[in-house]
Amino acid sequence: MTTKSVELVASPREPHFVGDGFRVHNFIPSGFRLDMERMDPFIMLDYNSKFKFAPSARPKGVGVHPHRGFETVTIAYQGKVEHHDSSGGGGVISEGDVQWMTAASGVLHKEFHEKEWSKEGGDFQMVQLWVNLPAKDKMSKPKYQAIENASIAKVPLVNKGGEIEVIAGEYKGVKGTATTFTPINMLNVKLNQGAKAEFEMPASYNTGLLVIEGSILVNGTTKGPTNHFVLMANDGEQFTIEATDDAIVLVLGGEPINEPIAAHGPFVMNTREEIVQAFEDFNKGKFGFLED
Amino acid sequence: MKNLTFSTFLTSNLSITPSDLDPVLSKAKSLEVRKDAFLLQEGEKCKYSFYVEKGLLRQYMLDAKGKEHIISFGPEGWIISDRESVFFNQPSKFFIQALEDCTIKLIDDSLVRLISEKVPSFVDFNTRLLHNHIRALQNRIIQLMSFTAEERYLEFIALYPDIMLRVPQTMVASYLGIAPESLSRVRKDLANKNFNKKHTSYLT
Repeated sequence: MTTKSVELVASPREPHFVGDGFRVHNFIPSGFRLDMERMDPFIMLDYNSKFKFAPSARPKGVGVHPHRGFETVTIAYQGKVEHHDSSGGGGVISEGDVQWMTAASGVLHKEFHEKEWSKEGGDFQMVQLWVNLPAKDKMSKPKYQAIENASIAKVPLVNKGGEIEVIAGEYKGVKGTATTFTPINMLNVKLNQGAKAEFEMPASYNTGLLVIEGSILVNGTTKGPTNHFVLMANDGEQFTIEATDDAIVLVLGGEPINEPIAAHGPFVMNTREEIVQAFEDFNKGKFGFLED
Repeated sequence: MKNLTFSTFLTSNLSITPSDLDPVLSKAKSLEVRKDAFLLQEGEKCKYSFYVEKGLLRQYMLDAKGKEHIISFGPEGWIISDRESVFFNQPSKFFIQALEDCTIKLIDDSLVRLISEKVPSFVDFNTRLLHNHIRALQNRIIQLMSFTAEERYLEFIALYPDIMLRVPQTMVASYLGIAPESLSRVRKDLANKNFNKKHTSYLT
């Protein structure tokens, strides 16, 4: 097996607010060389790096909006988010939890800081990813996977070096908790200072590492500072991450779907006609209804 | 929905190539404005028609009680102006404001003259644009006088397919001349009619 080398290390872009509750750095698709095609099937990555929200009686967040054609994955590192959708469902995503929502044919939802958390305020840190769906599944039934931290498969590292949470895919034979439509590895890697972990994925997998906490050395040579995104080349199968201080790294790898992408706002389809249809369906209530 | 440059707008409607048109358009002024900026405020004289290459404008007026009434939205490919103010040199009743960061091409008499000299068919096209505008205004009068809230909403989404996702619902209600609660009710009724629960019963 050959080494998967580092292609580039992307620094975080200027943050912007999504609604008034998420202060995010966008890495995909607007980061340097990180467009939807390059990171396919990961077509959007917003990172709310650690940010202190002041107490607020009115929960901050994002009002009602639709999605169609992909999945949203929310990974909570700090803070709590409450969500509701057009089928009357909802829930709270707390620290360590993952919500994997398959929007597919279409949902309306809204996401706000959890009411009680909002009153206290505090450090807020989350990742939101959009994972593309293959054409054949874009109009399938929406569904949720509410994955509490306790149910996430965990692989301890030798010498108390830390642990790896296998959100999806597999690590050293341990299967991930979430089910996916296409082959994806999504690993939350927690390394103590000095610890090192090895990873294997096919060369074809588009692969990137988001440094959530601390700093790392990739393949023993390339520095990955906090809040940076390390894009791996598609030239090999193996790479290592070593923590230069206590670190948390979100490792993403996925087999590219390699289908045409037509994206506009909250819809990601294969053709422009499908986008136009999505707007029409949304306008005509085919995504359901949700009070603001 | 995507960027639509003034050059593309003209070359796709007139028989002229971009390379022939570009020397003329290079004389046209462009403007980059940030969200919330005003291109025109009440009482000012409007000097231009604003062609939206990127972003979204709204044209509105304030009534005696200070309530906003939105006359039109201007997404990519639209021309927004106060023609009364421009043509008759009158102080405007309107505000024209950017609702998103915008790229705007400024159209004035001298630019219209330059394009007309270069492309004579532009004169007819410009007249057609004017009549198209009048037709839209007539339709809007009829809708405001006689259409139900739902009919107005259906006309709105046909005209502006993506605006519901770009502006607060209160602005759409203002444009439709209905209360925000009525717009919400219309959307709820449509969802009850069109939402197929069988395909979305997915919750854990």
